[in-house]
Amino acid sequence: MAFEPRIVGFLCNWCSYTGADLAGTSRVKYAPNVRIIRVMCSARIDPTFVLKALSEGADGVLICGCHPGDCHYVEGNYKAVRRFAALKRVLRAYGIEEERVRLEWVSASEGVRFAEIVNDMTERTRKLGPSRVKPQLMADAAAR
Amino acid sequence: MAEERIGVFVCNCGTNIAKIVDAGAVTQAVKEIPGVAVARSYKYMCSNPGQEMIAADIREFALSRVVVAACSPRMHEGTFRKAVEHGGINPYFLEMANIREQCSWVHDDPVAATEKAKALTRAAVLRVKYHEPLEKRSVPMCPATLVIGGGIAGLTAALELAEADQQVYLVERQDRLGGNVARLDLTAPYLDSARDLLRDRVVRVTRHPRIQVLLESRLVELKGFVGNFRPTVKTAAGELLHLEVGSVVVCTGYQEFDAARVRQYGYGRLPDVVTSFELEVMLRKGKVETRAGKKPRHVAIIHCVGSRSREFHPYCSRVCCMTGLKYAHEIKSAIPDAYVSDLYVDMSAFGKGCEDFYKKAAEARTLFLMYEKNHAPEIRLAGTDPEDGMLITMKERLSGEQIEIPSDLVVLMVGMEPRSDSDEMAHLVNISRDKDGWFIESHPKLDPVATTTDGVFIAGACQSPKDIPDSVAQARAAAARILAKIDQGEIAVDAVYAEVREEYCSGCRVCNELCPYTAIEYDETARRSHVISAACKACGCCVAACPSGAIKARHFTDQQIFAQIEGVL
Repeated sequence: MAFEPRIVGFLCNWCSYTGADLAGTSRVKYAPNVRIIRVMCSARIDPTFVLKALSEGADGVLICGCHPGDCHYVEGNYKAVRRFAALKRVLRAYGIEEERVRLEWVSASEGVRFAEIVNDMTERTRKLGPSRVKPQLMADAAAR
Repeated sequence: MAEERIGVFVCNCGTNIAKIVDAGAVTQAVKEIPGVAVARSYKYMCSNPGQEMIAADIREFALSRVVVAACSPRMHEGTFRKAVEHGGINPYFLEMANIREQCSWVHDDPVAATEKAKALTRAAVLRVKYHEPLEKRSVPMCPATLVIGGGIAGLTAALELAEADQQVYLVERQDRLGGNVARLDLTAPYLDSARDLLRDRVVRVTRHPRIQVLLESRLVELKGFVGNFRPTVKTAAGELLHLEVGSVVVCTGYQEFDAARVRQYGYGRLPDVVTSFELEVMLRKGKVETRAGKKPRHVAIIHCVGSRSREFHPYCSRVCCMTGLKYAHEIKSAIPDAYVSDLYVDMSAFGKGCEDFYKKAAEARTLFLMYEKNHAPEIRLAGTDPEDGMLITMKERLSGEQIEIPSDLVVLMVGMEPRSDSDEMAHLVNISRDKDGWFIESHPKLDPVATTTDGVFIAGACQSPKDIPDSVAQARAAAARILAKIDQGEIAVDAVYAEVREEYCSGCRVCNELCPYTAIEYDETARRSHVISAACKACGCCVAACPSGAIKARHFTDQQIFAQIEGVL
């Protein structure tokens, strides 16, 4: 069977989650590979959420927040950007492909954009192939 | 952890969910998860019998947690929290799985969609085990209201509130009240005078002891939260006025589309091409004439200027069709032997009294010529002298012919667009704008005047193009919502906020600087930080930042989110 990537999406409540809902109300079709978890703000996304998702077997993690300047909480998305940069360094250190984790801005009116991002991310992750994080962790645990 | 007893309710939403997602299969799958005491699917969970089913099952199966797999929590979380509470458990013991907006409506493949729905529902089941009982907080409601914009919507909202004996601050940028309606002559379709409609309201607002009108003033800052906003207004004298209000109504209206952007109409270049607002000025003076002072014999009215176009605004401005007919009528009464033609794309006469008005205009021998959307007519001078008039060329759709019509005066029905400062206003009061720039309401059908920021309401054309009756209705609706809250005296604010578990706090103060609402205080003696819960808006930024993991985001705890991650995978 062809490889179907499993992607966890962390979406902020005010812009991106609403944008994803709008894709639904507008009946825009997109790939079923992203499973969405709602948080109030992209600034709530602790890098450990991403690491947890990867270690539980996610092939990719998508983080979406309000566009710069549009954050419901004034500037949470700027904080998300900085955390994201730090997270990328951690991923590099662990040898995890950076492309598995992506940060995008989706406003409440961008249902179509959200669908495009999901399709694009699904395609790219499919090309990357399955993540080795979880199998590696299990192998390490078995060796111990 | 005590063994939770979880009830799972999978909604079919008629066929909205069930057409793509196999709700029965989802129900069967979740029954396997430890802790699930009962799982059912039903055609409409949000209906009365659906909600009763949840409440009855809570009692019958002694449920301690409930999962509803249905639409977006943004749609019905409130509904189901009430149902859960009705069943006798804490309303926050509910979790929803969004299997409609984010599943059945966006996927075509029933197998993949059903698998995804199972994963989302499983995640909700695993998460809900970690839910904690939360109590709603209530804060006192300040009964004063800030109304921004003194057009027809703002005037109406202000009067409605003041007549219920509540204090209103009405802030208007210009040096007079009335907004865009003050620029009109008669109104369609009943031909009432706009001046008459306004005059009485302006006088009542200006004289009302409960309304403070602040002309040439603008909002520069809005702090606080529902029931307790602290706006700062810069007044005409340049001073900063610090107010205290419980609610805000944004009634900032629209601006007209700049007709010069449609090049082939020659606005600004051809002297006798005028906008609808310029014609209103002529009508109010009772003098419809060309720049050279002549009575026009041929008048052309061009519809959809800037509206419903690929190049400019995709939306319909809603009022121009009837306003165009009103001009045909007014010009005919002013100059009985004039030939008036209406160059339109589609004639929308949807409002009360509008179809009759259209018939009347047609009977008065207005010439209706249909042009193709995105193929606007072209206007040029008929000769070298502007006084020789103009020629309009267009492809007339009904006859299919390329035609040329003479015209001494061309009226451009300019559409409505969001004010150029609407972005700034959206930021000031923390509301969102749609793709066209209009302010977004909380729900397009069921909650048309509230916004995503509690206590901030929108009314009138700042929300989307609107005529006078719709603006007035919205303004009154917003006022009614506010009066209902004032009447309660206090308002329930969400129980979701951050709290510092002080025993883990090292007093590093990283969170103090990060909080956008300065809701975290540092206790110098105890050397601990703590959250002022009433000021916290629950973004969770501090939670993710705390190096000791000492801050807990109520209802969005690490544990809850970790469980959800496990569930979706």
